[in-house]
Amino acid sequence: MKSSAGVWCAALGVIAAVAITAAAVAGGVSGHEGARAETAAKKITICLLPKKKGLPYFTTCAKGAEEAAKELGNVELIYDGPTDGSPEKAAGMVDRWALQKVDVIAVSPNDPEVLGQAMKKARQKGVHIITWDADAAPDAREFMVNQATGRDIGYALVDTMAKDIGGAEPEGEVAIITATLTAANQNEWIKHMKERLGKYPKLTLVAVKPSNEDQRLAFQVTQDLLKAHPKLKGIFGISSVAFPGAAEAVKQSGRSGAVLVTGLATPNDMKAYVHDGTVRSVVLWNTGDLGYLTVRAAAALASGTLKAGDHELDAGRLGTKKIEGDQILLGQILVFTKDNIDDFDF
Amino acid sequence: MKRVLGQRPAAVRDGGAGARAPARRSLMLAGILILVIGVVSAVNPAFASLRNLGDLLVQSAPVIIVGCGMTLVVLTGEIDISVGSLLGLLAALMGVFASPQHWGLPTAVVIGLTLAVGTGAGLLNGLLVTVGRVPSIIATLAMLTILRGVTEFIMGGRWITDLPPGIRALGTGGALGVPWCLWVAAAVVGVSVVIARRTPLGLRLYAVGGNAEAAGLARISTARVRIFAFMLLGLLTAVAALVAVPQQSVVESGIGVGFELVVVTAVVVGGTAIRGGTGGIAGTVLAALLLGSIRTALVFLNFGETATYWERGIQGGFILAAVLVDHLVAARQGSGGRFIGAAA
Repeated sequence: MKSSAGVWCAALGVIAAVAITAAAVAGGVSGHEGARAETAAKKITICLLPKKKGLPYFTTCAKGAEEAAKELGNVELIYDGPTDGSPEKAAGMVDRWALQKVDVIAVSPNDPEVLGQAMKKARQKGVHIITWDADAAPDAREFMVNQATGRDIGYALVDTMAKDIGGAEPEGEVAIITATLTAANQNEWIKHMKERLGKYPKLTLVAVKPSNEDQRLAFQVTQDLLKAHPKLKGIFGISSVAFPGAAEAVKQSGRSGAVLVTGLATPNDMKAYVHDGTVRSVVLWNTGDLGYLTVRAAAALASGTLKAGDHELDAGRLGTKKIEGDQILLGQILVFTKDNIDDFDF
Repeated sequence: MKRVLGQRPAAVRDGGAGARAPARRSLMLAGILILVIGVVSAVNPAFASLRNLGDLLVQSAPVIIVGCGMTLVVLTGEIDISVGSLLGLLAALMGVFASPQHWGLPTAVVIGLTLAVGTGAGLLNGLLVTVGRVPSIIATLAMLTILRGVTEFIMGGRWITDLPPGIRALGTGGALGVPWCLWVAAAVVGVSVVIARRTPLGLRLYAVGGNAEAAGLARISTARVRIFAFMLLGLLTAVAALVAVPQQSVVESGIGVGFELVVVTAVVVGGTAIRGGTGGIAGTVLAALLLGSIRTALVFLNFGETATYWERGIQGGFILAAVLVDHLVAARQGSGGRFIGAAA
């Protein structure tokens, strides 16, 4: 018993040591951004739920969200989500926030089915629910803040690839590395990508493979595809983790430039590949603006200035944004190339 | 202690069922592996190319390296399901240690620190299980969550994209045209086999898992043996992190998610009994290769774009089939094995 207690102390000591080291290390990595707005008129609590907390994509969205919260003054912003991307954990967070009677929950659902249940329950409790970044069933939320329609993105990806491959009639085999097979965003994009590929009869889609948000799996699958399909000309990495994994595989195979990789990612993560020629174009929207618009929309909804049937929204520094049905549109796709990518830092 | 040296545990000494079953499983796995490679190569000859077989080995290397350590832990009757999170933590620490934007330490120091943290985590697991008396599945389940949490805290939502060339070379470089990860995997397999089969310590590993009470009566310190196994597994997880993570350009907080399941699958499919006492390294290595080749094979067979949706089903089915066939063979040998032997 005595020695057992000793070990527990030792174990706690080790955990404490790890935690302290981690704190020291983390201090070097990230400064804390604890932006809390001063309470003005009626305080509005907005919860912003990403698909997976910790991905730079969502971290940069959160920055824009904080900016909007600060501007508005009366908004308390809670940014939290599952660090492993688990839809069940995300649903648990929605349940908890609903019990706390927050004003608005903005959800980027990892799994529209699992999250949809929790969102409907929260709505019944009188909490405003919107989606952002990814959508769920229309009856689970009031509005969706849409960075770009699936059609915009799908078409932009295929057009960019066609342009990068070049020629009057771009020719060759292409493959898609997606996030997970159940990711609603990606599936929507893939649908429109296939539609758009019809415009380029000599581009053939030979495979759609999941990377399960694992860079290493994206890397391995790309290695396999390169050998199994020697005529492969292009690879779409359509998640922020699949894209660098696919690019690294092409680079290590020594076929940079011969096999082109394009996809969606934050520009900082792809700069090296754009400069060495593995990637010619990176397709994305301004993630900070997406977070900013989401908080603007959430606050307007809570204060009653945004109602179903409205056609536009005053979005602060973004100006007036169009609303199509229940979709609040951010609009404008950004294509980063080696000529402009260094102008962006996110 | 010395008295134990000459005492081989029953399973090892007699070449009894405990020793024969893993050997049969290994033979069968090797057979299936050759069959898979043969069939897929017939459909798509590119599969048999040296480059692809090389890539297959490289892709399986982390599972093989960590699988060796896991086999020894499972042999003692314990399990460690925290290795996926430990791999993620070690990747993050390696990134922070090495990245010029953070600590920018020299490569040798980074390697030393990473190995030390891995071994330390293994020690912690071992102490929790032995002296703390927490069942290993619970202790390491907790560690699975804790270590991932620490990793996410360290990374703070950012990626490390500036691994210095010295560290990247561990993942992308090699000697004599063979990547470092394969040299390392070969060395790890060699050392693990020697430990398991040729040293007193190995015999104790089997003894502790086979019958801890008897091992205790034979004055084997079961706690020390188990702590050793956990520490070795931690060390090997660090080794895997060092040679596998720098293959990629980005270090992010999700590295290693689900890795523990792949490793445990390789160990169990490889014929090591989950209750401990029987099994071996060879089976784990073959199972790791088989698991890797099945995924790759499905890409080369090119069932078309919609086939993606049932790939995981096929992968699981393969695992189940391999184990079922093994049981059927075992059952037949059990009842009619001698008959067949006599007839031949």
